[in-house]
Amino acid sequence: MSDQEMKPVDTKQIKGMLDRKKGKMKRYLSHCAHCSLCAESCFLYMAHHKDPQYMPSYKAIYSLGRLYKKRGKVDRKLLTEIKGIVWRNCVLCGRCYCPIGIHIPSMIAFARTILRSQDVYPQLDEVSSESWL
Amino acid sequence: MYDFIRGQLIPVAFVIFALGLIFQIIQFFRLTRKKEWGYPPLEIKPEKKTTSKWVAFCLASLNGTLWEIDPLVTIMTSVFHVFLILVPIFLLGHNILLDQSWGLSLWSLPESITDILTIVVLICVAFFLGRRLFLSRVRVITTVYDYLIWVIAAAPFLTGYFAYHQWFNYDTVMTVHILAGEVMLITIPFTKLGHMLFFFFYRFLIGNEYSFAKGARTW
Repeated sequence: MSDQEMKPVDTKQIKGMLDRKKGKMKRYLSHCAHCSLCAESCFLYMAHHKDPQYMPSYKAIYSLGRLYKKRGKVDRKLLTEIKGIVWRNCVLCGRCYCPIGIHIPSMIAFARTILRSQDVYPQLDEVSSESWL
Repeated sequence: MYDFIRGQLIPVAFVIFALGLIFQIIQFFRLTRKKEWGYPPLEIKPEKKTTSKWVAFCLASLNGTLWEIDPLVTIMTSVFHVFLILVPIFLLGHNILLDQSWGLSLWSLPESITDILTIVVLICVAFFLGRRLFLSRVRVITTVYDYLIWVIAAAPFLTGYFAYHQWFNYDTVMTVHILAGEVMLITIPFTKLGHMLFFFFYRFLIGNEYSFAKGARTW
């Protein structure tokens, strides 16, 4: 087991980070109409035979949305799950288009920042069953 | 209870709606600040276009947008949102009530037109429910809360249609219609229905690539 997997999750720190950007991020999350109209703007969604888990809204809801829902009280297993969503399923190209005007890349980037604060990020020598891109 | 719904709750709902939106607007302006330009914004002088060139330019600007990708949803959602606002405001029955209580009213659409427009809104509402239920990409991000919001948006129009045609017990349907309208007004500032206001803030005030305007503010 690597050091990354052993380290306990600092839920207080996560909560503090979430609270600092609550005004913007919770507003974005709560105004998302869950319409899925952002889907086609993501090249990864199109490249993966329109697999819904590559939709920009899915990625924001199932990463940052989950962190806010759990108010930062998350375990390493969940953070590892989110890691796949925010790094493997998104390249932060910033091309996602939301008709309401929600800025999805900033949400994914913020989820990455939180994960990085807990030392959860892709390792260079990480062996993955599928390509990260 | 009936009297409360048809009486005191109406101004309460309007006050919560107005104050809620004002609160959200103040919060938004406190959370955002004026954008400081590191370089002067690019100003392109618009060239003089003939009408045909202008039409061609407008059509070309639709390339790659939702109008091209998913025209059906785009038309349905545009029609739905326009009539969702227009129908209740320009409905004859609502304006007569306004006239009776405050002595002022807005211009009204003929009842036959608003009746058809209500059906159009209800068709759009059914279409959105169909997408939620049968389209996997929408279903995967749908929660119970989304269905609740759908009910809040659909109920005033469905009950209004029933009330106009006097289907079922008129008094009960009318009370439910008024209650549905009040619930909608109260929930707008505090739920995802708030995109009614924030759509304009996000697309016009916050500057980013997809802004309709220059976007003078940033988070």
